[in-house]
Amino acid sequence: MILPDYYEFCCRVKIVAGHDALEKIPALLAEMGSKKPLIITDKGVAAAGLVDIVVNALKEGVTIGGVADNVPPDSDLKVVNQLAGLYRDNACDAIIAVGGGSVMDTAKGVNIVVSENATDLMAFSGAGALNRRLKTLVAVPTTAGTGSEVTLVAVIKDHEKHLKMAFTSYFLLPSVSILDSRMTMTMPPFITAMTGMDALSHAVEGYYCLQKNPLSDAHSLAAVNMIHQYLPSVTKNPADKDGRLAMAVSACLAGISFSNSMVGIVHNLGHATGSVCGVPHGICMAILLPYGLEYNMHKRGETIAELLLPMAGEEVYRKTPKAERAEKVVSLIRQMNQDLNEITGGRHARYFSEVKDRDGKQMVPREILPEIAKAALLDGATIYNPEDQDYEENLLVLEAAWEGKPLDRNKIKKG
Amino acid sequence: MNLTNGFAFTCPFKTNSGNKALEHLPVELAGLNAFKPLIITSRELAGPKAIGTLINAFGDSGMTIGVFDDVTETADLNVVEQIREIFLKGQYDVIIALGGGIIVDVAKILNLAVSLKVADARQLSPATAIRDPLGPFVVIPTAAATGMETSKYAVLSGKIFTSVHLMPGLVVLDPRLTRAKDGKTVAEAGFAAFGRTLEAYIAPDKNPFMDAYAFTALRFIRENLASAVNKRCNKKESLAVANAVAMSGCVISNTDQNMLHRLGQVFQNTVHVHPGIIIGMCLHPFLDDCMKKDSSRIASLLLPLAGDDKYAAMPEAGRAGDALRDLCEFSYEIYRSLKGKIPRTITEAGIQQYLMKDIFDIINQEPDGAYLRTVIDRVGGSSIKA
Amino acid sequence: MREIHAGGKPLKKAYVAIFLWFTGRAIQAAAKVDKEVQKEFAALPDDFTFALGCLPNGPWMVVGKEKGKVKYFGGNLKCRPVHLRLVIKSLDAAFLILSFQESTALATTRNRLMTDGEVPYALSVIRILDIVEVYLLPKLIASLAVKRYPSWWSFSRKLAGRVGVYTRTLLGF
Ligand SMILES: [Fe+2]
Repeated sequence: MILPDYYEFCCRVKIVAGHDALEKIPALLAEMGSKKPLIITDKGVAAAGLVDIVVNALKEGVTIGGVADNVPPDSDLKVVNQLAGLYRDNACDAIIAVGGGSVMDTAKGVNIVVSENATDLMAFSGAGALNRRLKTLVAVPTTAGTGSEVTLVAVIKDHEKHLKMAFTSYFLLPSVSILDSRMTMTMPPFITAMTGMDALSHAVEGYYCLQKNPLSDAHSLAAVNMIHQYLPSVTKNPADKDGRLAMAVSACLAGISFSNSMVGIVHNLGHATGSVCGVPHGICMAILLPYGLEYNMHKRGETIAELLLPMAGEEVYRKTPKAERAEKVVSLIRQMNQDLNEITGGRHARYFSEVKDRDGKQMVPREILPEIAKAALLDGATIYNPEDQDYEENLLVLEAAWEGKPLDRNKIKKG
Repeated sequence: MNLTNGFAFTCPFKTNSGNKALEHLPVELAGLNAFKPLIITSRELAGPKAIGTLINAFGDSGMTIGVFDDVTETADLNVVEQIREIFLKGQYDVIIALGGGIIVDVAKILNLAVSLKVADARQLSPATAIRDPLGPFVVIPTAAATGMETSKYAVLSGKIFTSVHLMPGLVVLDPRLTRAKDGKTVAEAGFAAFGRTLEAYIAPDKNPFMDAYAFTALRFIRENLASAVNKRCNKKESLAVANAVAMSGCVISNTDQNMLHRLGQVFQNTVHVHPGIIIGMCLHPFLDDCMKKDSSRIASLLLPLAGDDKYAAMPEAGRAGDALRDLCEFSYEIYRSLKGKIPRTITEAGIQQYLMKDIFDIINQEPDGAYLRTVIDRVGGSSIKA
Repeated sequence: MREIHAGGKPLKKAYVAIFLWFTGRAIQAAAKVDKEVQKEFAALPDDFTFALGCLPNGPWMVVGKEKGKVKYFGGNLKCRPVHLRLVIKSLDAAFLILSFQESTALATTRNRLMTDGEVPYALSVIRILDIVEVYLLPKLIASLAVKRYPSWWSFSRKLAGRVGVYTRTLLGF
């Protein structure tokens, strides 16, 4: 295990997990001196009946200060301000966020506004603008993937001014994250598959990126082990309670890893593909992950090889010669995509050329790849990638990922 | 790992470890809205050199820093009260504890006193309710750390305070401070951290979050303790051990399986023997018993101890035995290189007979007291007639 | 019990200040000599200005565009509005970076270098700094300072660029 010359690691979030973790919320709120939480969620989560489960679990000892289910799929400044008003009007003293990434972002934004008594959220964006504790925030993730229940970032969009504000602070970390198997139980197989692959990409990128450290490593190894074991089986049997819990826990472990060691080329190209073509994040991650490993292989081969044991177990590890272990990891991840593709009846895309929207139209036409390659030059995740990337190389990776061919590693420039 | 029963985990502290870690302090403090630190330390226990290094790290920040460097081994609530007055009068806004053991215990209780705004620190007791997070608190362990600095426990005059809020918000590990003057100090801290994390690691109800810390700590200690003890000039190994020691504080705060820890605590409070010494000697009888109960748990130790290749190469049936062998080699190497500076039995530790009686009195009150006695017996406790 | 006022670190500060002065002028020079640096700057807004420096009390280096030209504006952070700040957490960390014991990329990933401003700007500036470092430093040191040393650059680009950047940096035009 390698101790870097310097590293920082922090995850202050209290983790409470279990099949009945939600029922612990009243006691947790009381411990933190809160009595009246505002529940923030979105329409989809509410329609799936998940909010009802949460409300039921809160019955004892908690007065719910309101349920707001109007968080849009893309966080929005106006909604943040409106929810902050609701929080104040109803004299709430805590927030419970039930949902995915956008709900978590919105809840973090609301927390800044109500804690700092802010009128202009923008004033709290730059580094170091937040320097004291915010109100109690309980995060209840409803997908096992983003890890935003343990990340210190919130992205809020001002749709009127076409601005994207990023907030980063340890004070944005939720006070508690509740990992309850009931919250992901109803997730359809193909969403389970792609969010799970997002989690895997966090664990793996967190393991090879430049900011890796011994603690992020340990979180990554645990996550890789559990995701490889449980993701295909949970996608196949959505009602597998223990598998659901294991996936929620591993997505959280992966979230802790990458929020400390950051992510690289997979997220860099994935963000760009998402913003140019609107492809869901998880699908981009599933498709790009093997390529991210291949792209960094000449610099991180040994590191990547270390993932084989937690992923495939002793038997495979022993039988694979040392020099082939890193490549074995890549092929196992490709195999996972293949399995998930079969389990979901083809809905889980393996290559960009396979990604289709609801009407069956191709979402990533080949001609658009140069635009994505260019957009990626503006995405910060490249900073943490072990190898440098330029436009030509971005295009090289995207083209391979479009066709589903292994990356021609000889074409990567080497310093 | 079985997750079905559910679990909770928390580690409130941020870790900054490595080269020039101290120099980041002004920025770190500003991020906590803190600008006037009071350093709690001891010239005698932490040494003037460490204090100087820390103060120099604030160079060019323009900050004013208070230094209370008179903490002694026998510090009690009176000392806390004395510092509390200094803290208020000097309008300090953050506590920095530099050192290990009692220094950090004093600082933790001081943080409690100033955060709860009590009128007199001597009113505080383990029964004091601690509901909200306390004020900003930084711990900078030296080689004299025991591992409890980063834990939820604080012990003062034999009274044990327990709350996650007592844990620091920031732990700074700087290679200039984590190098030890002598191998014995490193070995004591290493053994203490090793035993505590090992017991949590093989516990049946461990959770994967705590496990991440335990795994890392075990591997760091196994890989680095012997050379940190032997070649004390080696900064890197000492820093790795210090990292593991800090992680062990998180582990012990997140487990109920703490028999070795409690034994160490009893001896420390009663006869002032370093808990690492007791934990080190009790490790073997403890492992023997675990082996008889459930050898698969011992087998799981082979991965952090021996590494990926050795673990994978060994068939399942042989892993527990291999792990035990590895552990014996590990502790033998350390005992041997310290040439008797660390006692291996209660008799060697030279604990007086009448004091053993006190120890057994305390142990008998524990729910698993009968078992604890059998452990003590096997490390030579019975040869001293209680 | 005593109270201490934190002292200064004049030597380290002087080294860092000189180095920032040098780097600032070198960026100005590279913008005249190197096509890629020109291209990066061209894509940035007209009055784009960035600063590189250390917490808590400087020194700083301010570089920006004015009337289409790239200029080094000296060490005063307040001399004009700054779009992007690259902030090194302490003087000692700056010393590590600027004495090439730690690369820019490594410093970022070791949480020593923080960026305050829009990410695309930061990426642009980091690419510019990387090119300037390749010009200024011998290969052995430059390959420590950047993620990968551009060994694919033609010999003439390296030579002409290096000579150009050095003379212009030292003479200041
Ligand atoms: Fe992601």
